[in-house]
Amino acid sequence: MRALSVAVLRTATGVGFRAAFPAGRGVRPASEVNLSRPERAASALLGGVLLVRGLTRRSVGGAGIWVLGGILLYRGISGHSRLYEALGVNTAGVARREPGASEAAIEVRRSITIGRPADELYRFWREPGNLSRIVAPIGEVAPAGDGRTHWRVHVPLGRSLEWDARVMEDRPGELLRWESLEGADLPNEGSVSFRAAPRDWGTEVMLRFRFDPPGGVLGKAASERLSVVPGALAEKALRRFKSLVETGEIPTTERNPSARAGRGSD
Amino acid sequence: MRALCWNGINDLRVETVPDPVIVNPHDAMLRVTMSTTCGSDLHFIDGYIPTMRSGDVIGHEFMGEVVEVGPEVRQVRKGDRVVVPSFICCGSCWYCRHELWSLCDNTNPRADLQEPLLGYPTAGIYGYTHAFGGYAGAHAEYVRVPHADNDCFKVPEGLRDEQVVFFSDAAPTGYMGADFCGIQPGDTVAVWGCGGVGLMAIQSAYLLGAGRVIAIDRFPERLRMASERAGAETINYAEVDSVIEALKEMTGGRGPDACIEAVGMEAHGTGVQYAYDRTKQALHLATDRGEALRQAIVACRKGGTLVILGVYGVMDKFPLGVMMNKGLTVRTAQQHGQKYVPRLLEHAVRGELDPSYLATHRFSLEDAPRGYEMFKKKEDGCVRAVFVPSG
Repeated sequence: MRALSVAVLRTATGVGFRAAFPAGRGVRPASEVNLSRPERAASALLGGVLLVRGLTRRSVGGAGIWVLGGILLYRGISGHSRLYEALGVNTAGVARREPGASEAAIEVRRSITIGRPADELYRFWREPGNLSRIVAPIGEVAPAGDGRTHWRVHVPLGRSLEWDARVMEDRPGELLRWESLEGADLPNEGSVSFRAAPRDWGTEVMLRFRFDPPGGVLGKAASERLSVVPGALAEKALRRFKSLVETGEIPTTERNPSARAGRGSD
Repeated sequence: MRALCWNGINDLRVETVPDPVIVNPHDAMLRVTMSTTCGSDLHFIDGYIPTMRSGDVIGHEFMGEVVEVGPEVRQVRKGDRVVVPSFICCGSCWYCRHELWSLCDNTNPRADLQEPLLGYPTAGIYGYTHAFGGYAGAHAEYVRVPHADNDCFKVPEGLRDEQVVFFSDAAPTGYMGADFCGIQPGDTVAVWGCGGVGLMAIQSAYLLGAGRVIAIDRFPERLRMASERAGAETINYAEVDSVIEALKEMTGGRGPDACIEAVGMEAHGTGVQYAYDRTKQALHLATDRGEALRQAIVACRKGGTLVILGVYGVMDKFPLGVMMNKGLTVRTAQQHGQKYVPRLLEHAVRGELDPSYLATHRFSLEDAPRGYEMFKKKEDGCVRAVFVPSG
């Protein structure tokens, strides 16, 4: 469900948004528009979802949800927010921030403890084949020559986000930091770092990455919510890394469904 | 293959499902020779535990014959007759290395479902919800066993399936409970619940040096079993005014040194507190009925040990203050089976522990729904139903 909303938001801020609101034919005169394009898209999208949800729920709460949905949808389509007007906020003129430069960037950090020395973990991570297995459910990563790696991250509805990344900092057994290069679908920057854990725990591994939200006040709020998704993905990748290193395999029920086919298996 | 599937609340059916296959290098495939019902299954059959999916193959207490092994399996061989603990454990992570097996880090593919509630994920279990991994269960003709070298225990010659199948879960759970009591020679241990786990806890407490074990239940046939098979003194809580007063009377006013709770979230009781719990649970205002647990907390002597083996959700109205003021030590866990199975098999070989009396009813796998029905309603004195796929 959450993963789905990422994809939908992206669609809405891209092609879908432009199709729905062709330039120069806005519902309101440009002077009354006080919402940025991404925020309008996010507002319309969230409004639409709430409207549908609210209408399918026959309760007082449901009614509240669809009224809120309707307000957000109107706000998105018209590009005008009365609340913003009253508060003197205008996000329509806000320029799109440069990657990595914005204070609104979303940072995700997740840690795991693995029962192996840091050097071994660092070497394991650097093997392209291993990294591919670790990120398999999320996407693909392949060497792209010239010290670069090509990333493709799956998002629902058959879409994917792609970028090339280059290692910017390399301290063997300690840290690896990379940045996406010009032309990335989702400009981002990340690192994996290793430090000794106490007792016989092994090594604490931290995976960190940062990306820019779509923009706008609501866009930022949506992104903060959505950071749950990359957070969960980071956690999943770390768990797979740990299991692969510690046991030589990744736990799975693949091809051994417990539930009936078509009801989703893991 | 044929397997027992959960299709919704109180809806179990034997169906034809895809055969399991070996996917990971440490997997083995077992032909199940015997499996058994467990009280903890009743919680999701009754709908009190979430993350079941329609069609899930259930069953986590079983044994069988190895029919195939993955390329990295070194010790287990085709043809071995083995018993397998219900928790899947890697044998390599910190928790496994410290014998906290059911806390294994590397066997739950759906850690993401479990972590929000528990904070950290535990090991996976066969046939026991998707939060515990979504592995297919063992009430089936075949079952896939990951980490076979770590999780399969060879059965010594001369033991029948009925003597061994409970070493998959009921016996190690009960034994762990007694182990957690830190029994000093001559101690008195009280055990709530005389199902498979409770009966095993009683026998284990004696094996570990308890002087007296007092069993609490309401079913005369189970209390008789506790007395005749396991050697416990008994209290029928439906026939006494107060279990706590009865225990005091039996222990010179001190109370039991250790109390083992082997009942869980669907406890029965008498009186107002039980009616309150039952109503709340029926209305889904609470997940648990904790009558047995509350009794154990009050009954335990000051500075004693409380061991919780029953399965619970997120119980409210928990008398934490009583526990704290009495300075109780609380020990609890899902079974660390891999730690206890070898010594249990030794007890079995020496003739010191024979759990086969738990298998009061035997069914072919095809009749498993009927077996669960009898087990749940405790019809005809049913303690455990065992299923035989070829039977």
